[in-house]
Amino acid sequence: MATKRSRDDHLVLWDRFRYARQRLTAVAPSVTKSQVAYLLISPFFVLFGLFLLFPVVYTVYLSFFEYQGIGQGNLFYVDFGLFHITFPQIAELQFVGLGNYTRMLGDSLFWQSMYNTTYILVIQVPIMIGLALALAIALNASFVRFKGAFRTAIALPVSANIVAYSTIFLILFNETGFINYLLSQVGIEPISWLRSEFWARKTIIGAVTWRWTGYNMIILLAGLQNIPQQLYEAAEIDGASRWEKFRYVTVPQLRPVLLFVVVLSTIGTFKLFAEPYVITDGGPTNATITIVQYIYEEAFVGSPNLGYASALTVIFVAIVSAISIAQIKLGGEE
Amino acid sequence: MREQRRKDAVWKFLTYSFILVMTLGMMVPLYWMIVAASLPQEEFIRFPPRLYPGTEFLNNLSVLHEETQFLISIWNSVFIAVVYTILSVLLCSMAGFAFAKYEFRFKEPIFYLILATLILPIQLLVIPLFLMMAQIGWTDTFRAIILPWLANPIGIFLMRQNMKSIPDALLESARMDGATEFQLFYRIALPAMRSSLAALAIILFLFQWDLFLYPLVILEDPGNYTIPVALSGLEESRRINFDQIMVASSLAIIPMAILFLFLQKQFVSGILAGSLKE
Amino acid sequence: MPRKNTMYGRRRVLIGGASAGTLALAGCIGTGDPEEDDDEGTGDDTDDDSNGEDVEMADQIDVWGWDVAARSLELTADAYMEEYDATVDVEEFGQDAMKEDLRSRLTAGSGAPDVAMLEMIDGPAEIDTGAVADLTDRIDDAGIEDDFVSGAWASLQEDGATYAIPWDIGPTAVYYRRDIYEDHGLDADAIETWDDFQEEGEKLPDDIAMFNIPVNDLDGVWRFQFRQLGNRPFTEDGEVNIHNDDSVMIAETIKQLYDSGIASDYDGWSTEWFNGYGEGEIASLPSAAWMEGTLRAELPDTAGNWGVYRIPAHEAGGPRASNWGGSSLMIPEQIEDGERERAWDYLTWSLATEEMQLLMYDEYGLFPALETTYDNDEVFDEELDFYDGQPARRLFADVAEEMPEYQFSIDTPYVSDAINNHLFRMLRDDEDPEEMVMEAAEEVAERTGRDLA
Repeated sequence: MATKRSRDDHLVLWDRFRYARQRLTAVAPSVTKSQVAYLLISPFFVLFGLFLLFPVVYTVYLSFFEYQGIGQGNLFYVDFGLFHITFPQIAELQFVGLGNYTRMLGDSLFWQSMYNTTYILVIQVPIMIGLALALAIALNASFVRFKGAFRTAIALPVSANIVAYSTIFLILFNETGFINYLLSQVGIEPISWLRSEFWARKTIIGAVTWRWTGYNMIILLAGLQNIPQQLYEAAEIDGASRWEKFRYVTVPQLRPVLLFVVVLSTIGTFKLFAEPYVITDGGPTNATITIVQYIYEEAFVGSPNLGYASALTVIFVAIVSAISIAQIKLGGEE
Repeated sequence: MREQRRKDAVWKFLTYSFILVMTLGMMVPLYWMIVAASLPQEEFIRFPPRLYPGTEFLNNLSVLHEETQFLISIWNSVFIAVVYTILSVLLCSMAGFAFAKYEFRFKEPIFYLILATLILPIQLLVIPLFLMMAQIGWTDTFRAIILPWLANPIGIFLMRQNMKSIPDALLESARMDGATEFQLFYRIALPAMRSSLAALAIILFLFQWDLFLYPLVILEDPGNYTIPVALSGLEESRRINFDQIMVASSLAIIPMAILFLFLQKQFVSGILAGSLKE
Repeated sequence: MPRKNTMYGRRRVLIGGASAGTLALAGCIGTGDPEEDDDEGTGDDTDDDSNGEDVEMADQIDVWGWDVAARSLELTADAYMEEYDATVDVEEFGQDAMKEDLRSRLTAGSGAPDVAMLEMIDGPAEIDTGAVADLTDRIDDAGIEDDFVSGAWASLQEDGATYAIPWDIGPTAVYYRRDIYEDHGLDADAIETWDDFQEEGEKLPDDIAMFNIPVNDLDGVWRFQFRQLGNRPFTEDGEVNIHNDDSVMIAETIKQLYDSGIASDYDGWSTEWFNGYGEGEIASLPSAAWMEGTLRAELPDTAGNWGVYRIPAHEAGGPRASNWGGSSLMIPEQIEDGERERAWDYLTWSLATEEMQLLMYDEYGLFPALETTYDNDEVFDEELDFYDGQPARRLFADVAEEMPEYQFSIDTPYVSDAINNHLFRMLRDDEDPEEMVMEAAEEVAERTGRDLA
């Protein structure tokens, strides 16, 4: 222990501290431990309280109002003697109760964007995680050389600027783009990648998969490396095949990290925004407009429907939270 | 025995082929980005497409540097992302350790609350956050960009999942030896999680690196712009300046590549495995 | 009597004439030459506008714009700073970036610039935030309303109040490649209607398209024709009116031209699109006055080969003038009084003086909304090399004076979206024009909670 090298007075202090801690542990061990836990997670709450609590509460609050334009004057003023806080009235709001929520029910574009997002998600996430897992396992194999170079090369797409890579995909998949050029070389008719609903969604799926597969591979690789080697050795002694080792050692051991990747990718694809915004602009005929793009447009394009955008956000967060929690439960969390 | 060797050889061949094909697929668009960066715009948009780099890279770069303070933007992005990553790695692994290895009241609801903040679309938080920052006079500062996202829910979640693989027996025996709870964290948990911490660092770095709308609204002086904010200025009213954006994006890959290489040696198995042997 | 409006005085000096009288009645004419007024126009400048109080003009203001527009504001800012003792900082953004940033700051109520660019199409939505300053009294005091093309004001007004000053407009015309027309025996003068246009186009060989139909911007194509025929998307009662007979006829025209095979269908502003015009694979380009700047900058090799004629009519003898695009400058409500005075001073200097408007037109091709500039024969009758000696500016000016007024509304994005999607389906899936226009109208009605007219 480092304390052995400490100066005497420190040692004394340290001993007293340790004595106090041991007594506390003896009296109520669980309390101390949970206090430690609270201490460990407290920074999150401090930062959340300082920076995100207000935006979150404000969003929920706004979802019951119709935005009428920016506000004039102050909402409230608190005098603390030494200093005072003035809070400006942010907006002219008209209370509409659940109006924004009921409006959603009849909003065909909301449903369209939910459908698009789900469609992309259901195809994209399994493909990406399958590829990422296969790559992680391949690059974790002991016989593979130049691991570092391959890892870096496969993970690099994630560092491409979103606008730049979306633009690259836009040009690659244009009517007269590189992909159609390649197809024409092997005698295949050009495909309307960006003008057919079917192919436009596939293009978005391809772009997202390209960028994020390496990222997920890195996470899975780190997870694989936390699996104790002895488990594989023991399995080998039992004569387990490659598949059996995967099935009975890798999968159960990797489960928490795999679950993380599934939940994170689900949320990430649900929040898809930049790719359809740049590559297809939500088209053709709104076939690739995503829910977050829709929320963004309600808030930033045309007149600012901040109330409705907030209600959409609340419902969006509720739905995705429910799905994530279901994934975590189904993923076999104790 | 020979049968087994042949099987192994086939397996090796398949593994290598898979890795090579995937690597190639990942590199094609990146390669093309560099081709685009090295051509004048008219050349690049010609059909059939150009497949080899041209000679205009430096020229495009100098135009880029005239139009934006791009090197400064790279520095700003790196600075913000590095500071953010260092601080956030600590906070996230602390919280992750608590969730993985301790029991406490409201553990599950608190975790789901954190998860929900992960789902919040930043797009809608921008306006109230800007309002707050304007009230406390933090607009156009880096701390306004760094602080709100420090307790990153993705990071907390990742570390929670990874810390679960630390055997309880290991922690218990350390407790027997008189280690404090905090010593368990930084003496045992953190060193055991080297490759996960490397992955966490990449996740956090990238999170900051990609932020666009929020820094766009917070930052005012072009000398403070991050890379995505600086790049947004290259988008002309109706068309995009491909050549400059591609140059910028090619350059912007370098810091990420350095980060990957820097973290390479963390991706080695056996720390946790080794500690189990005793 | 406000003394700050020296620039109007300067304009009077430039053109003189009858209209000076009306301005004097409105109480706003400056006297003497600008140099004389210079010292008064600096720090101690005062203004007795609606605020009814004397406010000192701020020494420094921030101005936001994007692209060419920002660069042209830099020109006027430089000229302004030479004339007055104040600093005007112009910040250039990307288009989307500026709109996002500005929207955030307007709705948050702080941090907005002192002057900002506002596209006419976004006018009503931005005014609707309540964050844009009402300039009605100032405009009345300055008496400048009639100096601008009348069709340019509508989108900057709400409930009788005016919130921005028109800057540039986009009088429409068809750009055509003289060399291609000549080689294949097309006669630009023979084109009066879209039928004529198609007939001439059919003379071209298969590998040259008569024009391009930008399938990602069909709402733009539809809107300039809708406006050409004097329509507005919503009736006075606020009912959706994008499915009237004119709209159906426009859709049919677009479909007929598309089906005839004389058109290419690249996305507007895409790489193929630029290629097509650069390589001479597309012969004509229905667009607006600002397109000249783009063609000059992006396809310099084609200079001298272009000509313009008025957009075809839908029926013989029908109207051939419309507008596509345009922008304005506005002042956010949230800024301080001193900044507001300076902002107004700079704004009028840039937009309400012929000298500055013509400077921006000359340098960056922003066609002035300031109608009084059109009297300047030297500029507007100039035979331009780019058009092989054609005095094209006169044509644009004539179109500008004829173009019908058009009102964008806060629901314009819904109209654009619905029209674009449905006309796209009409072309791609060979759907019936009337049905598609009807469906588009129903979609707009549903999304905006309006009734069908």
